[in-house]
Amino acid sequence: MTAISPSEGANKTRSDLLAYATLTIISIFCAVPFFWVLLASFDGNAQLFLRWPEQWTLANYVRVFTKEDGAKWLFNSLFVVGGATLIVMVLAGLGGYALSRTRAWWKLPFLYAILLIRVLPPTALVVPLYKFLLTLNNAEGAILRPIFGSYARDIMRWTGFIDGYLGIMLVLATMQLPLALWIMKTFFDGLPRDYEEAAVMDGATMMQRIRRVLIPLAMPGLAAAGLFAFMSAWGDFLLPLIFLSSPELQTLPLGLFRAFLRINEIDYGLLTALAFIYLLPAVVAFGFARRFLVQTFSGGVKG
Amino acid sequence: MARNSHEKRTERQLLLVLLPSLVLLLAFVIYPALYSVYLSFTNEALTGAAALRPRFVGIRNYVRLFNDAKFWNSLFVTFVFVMGSAVIGQFVLGLISAMALRRPIRFRQFFSSIILLPNAAPEVVAGFMWISMLAGGEHATLSRIVAFFGINPADWLNAFPLSMIIIVNTWRGIATAMILLTAGLSTIPAEIYEAARMDGATPSQMFRRITLPLMMPTILLYMLISAVSTIAVFGLVYALTRGGPGGATEVVSIYIYNQSFTAFQLGYGAAVAVVALIISLILGIGYVRAMKVEV
Repeated sequence: MTAISPSEGANKTRSDLLAYATLTIISIFCAVPFFWVLLASFDGNAQLFLRWPEQWTLANYVRVFTKEDGAKWLFNSLFVVGGATLIVMVLAGLGGYALSRTRAWWKLPFLYAILLIRVLPPTALVVPLYKFLLTLNNAEGAILRPIFGSYARDIMRWTGFIDGYLGIMLVLATMQLPLALWIMKTFFDGLPRDYEEAAVMDGATMMQRIRRVLIPLAMPGLAAAGLFAFMSAWGDFLLPLIFLSSPELQTLPLGLFRAFLRINEIDYGLLTALAFIYLLPAVVAFGFARRFLVQTFSGGVKG
Repeated sequence: MARNSHEKRTERQLLLVLLPSLVLLLAFVIYPALYSVYLSFTNEALTGAAALRPRFVGIRNYVRLFNDAKFWNSLFVTFVFVMGSAVIGQFVLGLISAMALRRPIRFRQFFSSIILLPNAAPEVVAGFMWISMLAGGEHATLSRIVAFFGINPADWLNAFPLSMIIIVNTWRGIATAMILLTAGLSTIPAEIYEAARMDGATPSQMFRRITLPLMMPTILLYMLISAVSTIAVFGLVYALTRGGPGGATEVVSIYIYNQSFTAFQLGYGAAVAVVALIISLILGIGYVRAMKVEV
């Protein structure tokens, strides 16, 4: 230990200093853009450019909820993305288990297929997807309208495929499904089969096995899969842009984008307050997901 | 015999629990992908006569595409965007961060948290934050920073649009590169470096002769992953420039969107989409092979 020569010690200090310097520069590059959202959202006279607020205020946040429909957008985002996350967790939990345990011929082709699906750019899929969902939507409307009459419209808002909660949830969930299936498959691969075999010996059915044995064991994997699905769906802009149009269903990214489109009268205080509200759940989720990042990024596909 | 029938039943049940995922992926991904191939051979449109009665037009969309300077421009812009941000920007900064964070220095948690932050920002928020950084001439944060070094302010997004979206996308993806490359670095045994140091190798020799060659599989995997995910970037560029000015940042996903939803040319947009799908699939097949899937 003491055998480090003076020159070697100096070398080490120099390398450490170099590491500090580069990390500081890269960190500044990463952090600076956030300052504006943070400061301007509490600034009584917010501008497009970065400045230190002369008067600190919460008025911008109050305006999000009083002057604009911020509460509705927040609810819609939480509901839609939360619903999609739940769908992903259930389907990927079941599907990942099947992919891990099966010995059937379709195992490898299916695994290759979900990896390839992940590389398809969503923009290339939205037009045909829109046409397909429109067909489903019209068919659903044709069935519901004779039965429910004037109530059909309200029901379609929940169960419709275009401009309905169900449709956007399913689309968002499907886009997150391949990565989640991959995470769960890898997770179940690491779980010994002994527990299940013991349960089989005891005469447990498939459903009992899943509920009593597998779900408790799978919780860490499900948490990782759910977090990644939530973060990716939460940050997505394209899918709500295409599949939602009525004001009642607007989510945070749409509300934010439309607040910015009022070219001549952009309220930067409101805009940044809204951006901060939209940013916060994503950062919190990222904080929780940190310990899963390494396995997922190195084993699976970029999130 | 009994065992066999039990196994058969298990397999049937496993397929059953996978079925919902399979149905969703078939309906919302595979079918649309095939349908866009079909659409690309029609003159389907959102408005006008073709919207009512779309016709089969053979390869006409592809002929038009081949002669469309804007299409070639968007492919070129996408190529520069991917090379600049994923292959060079994110990779270099990610590798530097990963190597610096391997040293036993203080505040490592702090530094890596900050570097992760841009990755958490939703696309639209990231876009707006950078508009504040870049727009507004001399008031823009970037102008004020470079003024420090004696560089004149500029309207960055109009003067250097493509370079700017490359910088923004680099900013957003350093963390992914850093995480993947950290995992790759940690697989290199410390003894190799120890032995090289005994032989009097310099740090730069060790980097070129040990680190880079041993990291090659990880680097290849990273390049493929980040290339395909960069081709798919939409919201970030849309919030920043919407493809402008004058098509300078019209990456292929923006071009598809503009053709389909601004020009309403669904058939032609689908032809562009098919080209994007094929390029992504080719990269994807390389990626799947590099992954060496174990069953």
